[in-house]
Amino acid sequence: MGVGLPRLVGARVARREDPRLLTGQGSYVDDHRPARMLYAAFLRSPHAHARIRRIDASAALALPGVAAVLTGDDIARSAKPVRAASKTPNVKTTSYPPLALGKVRHVGEAVAMVAAESRYVAEDAVERIVVEYEPLPVVRDVESALDPASPVLHDEAETNLLVSREFARGDVDAAVAGAALVVRERFRFHRHTPVCMENRGCLAEYATGSGALTLRSSAQCPGLVRDILTDLLDMPEHLIRVIATDVGGGFGAKASLYPEEIATCVMARRLGRPVKWIGDRREDLLATTHAWDEIVDAELGLNQDGTIVGLRAEVIADVGGYSIYPWTAAIEPVQTISFLPGPYRVPTYRGRARGVATCKAPLGPYRGVGRPPAVFVIEGLMDRAARRLGLDPAEIRLRNFIRDEDFPYKSPSGIVWDRSSFTESLQKAREALDYKAARDEQARARAAGRWVGIGIASYVELTGIGSAIPVSPGMPVSTGTEAATIRFDPAGKVTAVFGVASHGQGLETTLAQIVGDEVGVPIEDVRVVHGDTDASPYGTGTYASRSLVLAGGAAILAGRSVREKMLVIAGHLLEADPADVTLAPGRYAVRGMPDRSVTVRQIARAAYSGAKHLPKGLEPGLEATRFYDPYYGTASNATHAAMVEVDRATLEVKILRYVVVEDCGRMVNPLIVDGQVHGGVAQGIGAALLEEIVYDDQGQLLSGTLMDYVVPSACEIPMMEVHHVETPSPVTLGGFRGMGEGGTIGAPAAIANAVADALAPLSIEVAELPVTPERLFRLTRKAGA
Amino acid sequence: MKPPKFEYHAPTSLDEALDALGRYGGDAKVLAGGQSLMPLLNFRLARPAALVDLNRVASLAYIREQDGQVRLGAMTRQRTIEFSPLVAQRLPLLKEATRWVGHLPIRTRGTIGGSIAHADPSAEYPAVLAALEGEVVARGARGERVIRAADLFQTYLTTSLAPDEILTEVRLPAMPAGAGYALEEFSRRHGDFAIVGIAAVVVRAGQRCTMARLATAGAGPVPVRLRAAEEILETEGLGEAAIDAAARRATELVDPDADIHASADYRRHLAGVLTKRALTRAIGVARG
Amino acid sequence: MADMMTVRLKVNGVEHEGRCEPRKLLVDFIREDLGLTGTHVGCEHGICGACTILFNGEAARSCIMLAVQAEGAELATVEGLMRDGKLHPLQEAFREHHGLQCGFCTPGMLMTALDFLRTNPTPSEREIREGISAVLCRCTGYQGIVNAVRAAAPVLAAGR
Repeated sequence: MGVGLPRLVGARVARREDPRLLTGQGSYVDDHRPARMLYAAFLRSPHAHARIRRIDASAALALPGVAAVLTGDDIARSAKPVRAASKTPNVKTTSYPPLALGKVRHVGEAVAMVAAESRYVAEDAVERIVVEYEPLPVVRDVESALDPASPVLHDEAETNLLVSREFARGDVDAAVAGAALVVRERFRFHRHTPVCMENRGCLAEYATGSGALTLRSSAQCPGLVRDILTDLLDMPEHLIRVIATDVGGGFGAKASLYPEEIATCVMARRLGRPVKWIGDRREDLLATTHAWDEIVDAELGLNQDGTIVGLRAEVIADVGGYSIYPWTAAIEPVQTISFLPGPYRVPTYRGRARGVATCKAPLGPYRGVGRPPAVFVIEGLMDRAARRLGLDPAEIRLRNFIRDEDFPYKSPSGIVWDRSSFTESLQKAREALDYKAARDEQARARAAGRWVGIGIASYVELTGIGSAIPVSPGMPVSTGTEAATIRFDPAGKVTAVFGVASHGQGLETTLAQIVGDEVGVPIEDVRVVHGDTDASPYGTGTYASRSLVLAGGAAILAGRSVREKMLVIAGHLLEADPADVTLAPGRYAVRGMPDRSVTVRQIARAAYSGAKHLPKGLEPGLEATRFYDPYYGTASNATHAAMVEVDRATLEVKILRYVVVEDCGRMVNPLIVDGQVHGGVAQGIGAALLEEIVYDDQGQLLSGTLMDYVVPSACEIPMMEVHHVETPSPVTLGGFRGMGEGGTIGAPAAIANAVADALAPLSIEVAELPVTPERLFRLTRKAGA
Repeated sequence: MKPPKFEYHAPTSLDEALDALGRYGGDAKVLAGGQSLMPLLNFRLARPAALVDLNRVASLAYIREQDGQVRLGAMTRQRTIEFSPLVAQRLPLLKEATRWVGHLPIRTRGTIGGSIAHADPSAEYPAVLAALEGEVVARGARGERVIRAADLFQTYLTTSLAPDEILTEVRLPAMPAGAGYALEEFSRRHGDFAIVGIAAVVVRAGQRCTMARLATAGAGPVPVRLRAAEEILETEGLGEAAIDAAARRATELVDPDADIHASADYRRHLAGVLTKRALTRAIGVARG
Repeated sequence: MADMMTVRLKVNGVEHEGRCEPRKLLVDFIREDLGLTGTHVGCEHGICGACTILFNGEAARSCIMLAVQAEGAELATVEGLMRDGKLHPLQEAFREHHGLQCGFCTPGMLMTALDFLRTNPTPSEREIREGISAVLCRCTGYQGIVNAVRAAAPVLAAGR
């Protein structure tokens, strides 16, 4: 790195994607309308569990403007069912057909697909398809699903218990038995759903001449979708192109392969016409993966001084009707037991996870995956213990954090934490909140009869995961690498191509900052291309807080390769030893002789101008592709602190203050880091107070509109105060740590703890999220308030 | 979520509208602001043979004072009401209620007639109509009739309007000068329909209450007048004990249903809480 | 088709004419028939606000209006905000204050905020939150949006 060059990394650079998105010139799937395109609509099951006796599509096909109708049987002839396999024993692999085959397993499952001249006509046609169902008994929840008398959803699994996994360290039973204090609770984290403002959708085009298939999709993982379509559609990989240019939010919901994507490809290939399916909000709430939905029975044993001696937990997740690709039904519950011990020294541990199939939409990854419930549980137990021991909640955490001298620390579930700032973050959060003053204010409020509380939640998350560990346990797909291609054109401008796929995170900006620094050009001269499998080197996509770490690392490697070559060419042009050439703003100069310099543009031109302009034997061209694998990955941590008031009369929870101190290592762009925290916290607040997917006993979705699934508006979200600790990761290139999910991991626990603290005079504990006014009404009535 | 097919009429006069409506023998729907009907069409939960769109019937949009009443044309937009000086002066409760109706882009389209004819019991305008003992004018092939609030709402989304009738005007008695008023509402998210809402009006003479009005939103299949609670104030005055007694009475007078957001018990509890809050605030602004 | 109707309207100052079924939603007409894809479809039941446009100068949700209702109307969409190749001050403020991430709610948010600021040129934070609560954003936690609207308010007021 040259001296005097203004650093892009670390600067609050305004986003490069903004001008197009602000002017309505984004390129979302639904913005594309190739000639001869047909619109698709799906017939979805009204039953939670039923056998399909017969499908009669003749009336639909007779409707003018209808091109075709596909059923499960039709699809089965041209595409394989999805099977989310796992290498882990005790994780059952089950089939997920693109259109129901023989049986439906949740309300909203796709049963038939129509392609027509307009979406209007397609929906008319859907209504004319006659399906004869034989209703089967509904498997409504995990308890009944595990009853030996329960119907089994997947015959091939022979049980509804699709996932069993255990992590253990030491003799936890003895430790808990001998503990001075044991706190225990049954925690319930209800079902949620991500609600991207852009519904899922895709557009498939099949070129009959070349046999090439192009799928535009609202996908987070174009590479991953391309790879699996190769197998399912039996097509060579190089004939499948998956594009996700602008995607309207993902949050994990768009990281999985969906039945509609496969069906749309099959329809397009069959008809030789472009086919577009844009899900509507009803379909989104019914058939986009849901999240969390866990019951956790947990016990924490502690010494009298508040240090942890052992943690035991039984996690049971309602994984819904299908195991989703590639993450499998294991992702949520296994992630929960992986991270339950949190940022603490937990000498003995046993976490058991079970994933149980029921007649609901499949469970999939959503911001935080497993960790929002895990942190809710461990942080809830820490507060319960603190109350019992008469310790301040901050103090009990400080006594148990993994200390500086403990790093790298191997957690009971086998995760290795690199150097992190658990203690520092909590202390800084205390300062930011002015903890003493806040407690005084709380005391005054209490004396006045108000229910005011303060809640703290500290957590650590594994991010930027490399090839040593699969992102989801036992998953056969390798997710440990990403690549970058950095290419100069002869005019000295840079195109940087990545296999990741930004869907709101601003990667076009942050990756350009990294590239600009590495090769010595201003950010305006870097164009980042992503989300197009034809353009990019091999990669999978954006998920699991990985993109800045993996793609950023690859950008650094590729940038270095290009820069080394530029130094050689500059040396040649300047008739100097390349070792004496150094990078200055926009130019390369001989060290100590700023007048003897060449511009980036001169170097780039030389690189493409033939042998006479290049050192002897140097290959022409100026580009490099490099892959990066952080191997283990790294960790981000944070402490959230919330101050809330529970309205004694209406039981509404008002957030008075919200403080976050987070450490995502070296920050590339603080503006974007803050934005990610704000958005994550808002989703966590929604999860804690407002949002809940509700099914009735017959498996009918009761929260099927945005009136009933209550996503917070600007009025329910407070101003957040975000502070940073910057501990560069010792194990990643650039020192970056991933940070897309953290806000949602910390917020539910911080809110729950604050509400419990507010209600401590009534001895009310918060063991169920969302903690709605209705639930608080019942809790306070029970407590005699 | 696209509407099913329907025929479409955009008459420019009320007579044309009635004529169009009459042709479908109950199978047509009147389209006012569309903020409730259009979602139902998109969900295909409403499937009328035809829509009769009143948005071009200019004669249905007005606010005027007559015979001690403020008369609002059915197609008067909520946003117009929100900013109307006449409404602010004569019907401050209606103005306050309007700010609770949905959001800005709802109020630019939504109309008072549409909201009342839709008869969502969680909505604000039906509660105001009940609290102020207003009436609506309905026109049909057989002529015009005036329906009192108490006779209008039958159950969820159902009024006593005949299928071939159009609600043309809402008549609200001007509030007595100095009357105190408040609309208190609880919803889980700003702008959502109320879980429970209470509209209150009090006319005071010192500590005495010469008139009290309380009406609910979200506490049953129709807006409910809490007459027995009103009587407590009218007999016992406006002291704290009377307010508490009225609030307690309110919880007994309502018979709410449960949904995924709130149980009947919690709604009943809220009816009491909001009655107290509405009365306290109304008394605070009452003069006399 | 016999039941097709003609719609003549002005969008961002430009006259357009199209034919569609009466049931066609205004947002679909804007996106498909006029090719103005900046206005987005998010829920089709009037909750999320992504489809908000200005209809005769006032913010309205185009997913719960019919295209035929726009006959003779003047519409403004996000595409019309830029002037002489420069971002509108509100757009500038959104960029500076990181008022958008995925960009999907942004057009509806901008159009709603414009109408809101027209009637309330000097809003408090609470009023801004109420004003923009008509549009759901899942990315920003609203903080950047609130800051952007607050920053843009005096600029817009000065330009009126």
